[in-house]
Amino acid sequence: MVDNVTQRKWDKAAPTFDLIAGAGAERRWEPFKRALFSNMDGRVLFLALGTGLDIAAFPTGQNITAIDISPKMLEVASSRVANYHGDLTAEVMDVHDMTFDDDSFDQIFTSCTFCSVPNPVDGLRSLRRVLRPGGDMFMFEHTGSRYYPFKLMMHLMTTVTKKIGPEMDRPTVANVKSAGFEVLEVNNLFLDVVKTIHARKTA
Amino acid sequence: MDHRLYFVLGDIAANTLTGALIGWLAGLIVGTGWNMMVAMLVLMFLGMLIAGVLSLLIGVWFGAMEVMVPVMLSGMVAGMVVGMWASMAPLSASSAALIGAVCGLVAIVGVWIVNNSVRGVTTFESTGESNG
Repeated sequence: MVDNVTQRKWDKAAPTFDLIAGAGAERRWEPFKRALFSNMDGRVLFLALGTGLDIAAFPTGQNITAIDISPKMLEVASSRVANYHGDLTAEVMDVHDMTFDDDSFDQIFTSCTFCSVPNPVDGLRSLRRVLRPGGDMFMFEHTGSRYYPFKLMMHLMTTVTKKIGPEMDRPTVANVKSAGFEVLEVNNLFLDVVKTIHARKTA
Repeated sequence: MDHRLYFVLGDIAANTLTGALIGWLAGLIVGTGWNMMVAMLVLMFLGMLIAGVLSLLIGVWFGAMEVMVPVMLSGMVAGMVVGMWASMAPLSASSAALIGAVCGLVAIVGVWIVNNSVRGVTTFESTGESNG
């Protein structure tokens, strides 16, 4: 069953999302995302496509199934999905309630997703279910910091931002481990706040 | 730090201007009758809060977390320093803004230095089992 509260929150954000996230953040992160997404191979699940800003960094010719909880976000993404040179399908789906069979995908990619999934460890467990044994998960995420005063700032901002969108203080690496993945690599891109995570579903 | 000139200049501008604004506000709010410790704590928190809101606007051009974190630090330091200073001696608006701007510059350089030591790859040896 779809989480209606979360769906409404992101539906509401859809019309202005590109204005807020589309220029500065995407321009800053584009080289790192392009490098991460260059690992795409086989049957790929992309979690939380949003308005499709990440599609510009996808390598061409891939077989990608993308999901997002918000139909309004995917409406905005539709032209970007259509222009992708490869096999890209986008579906409205809640990560907590995915209809895919077990072990359906060779790889999973996320991009600024687990700052927003309401129950992150449960969501990651759902991803683990649909990933084949030995399959890899690649994440581009922002998380909380373990360094003061940054840690305090992230907590403070979260009190504001979680009402309209993401939480800034999530312990995503720990959550990935708690969900049963083996974390192979963490690459801190900005402080210990913006990072890529490479994890694997152990057999 | 990001070596692209657009972001280097953007980071410097965002932090010095935020520092100047918070410094100017702190100079307006705090008078010589204030207790120094109270002025420091109140303006530190207020500066961080206002800068946090400002960072959402600046982020449209220059990024998300890479803007929010240093800009909030700039607001915090500018509020703290100017707040303390203004509680001890009268401070003109231009002086308060200038001190705030310097605080912003110091904050962004500090974040670049910390970032250079924190950023980078950590790999974990594969054991074939969850490391949770």
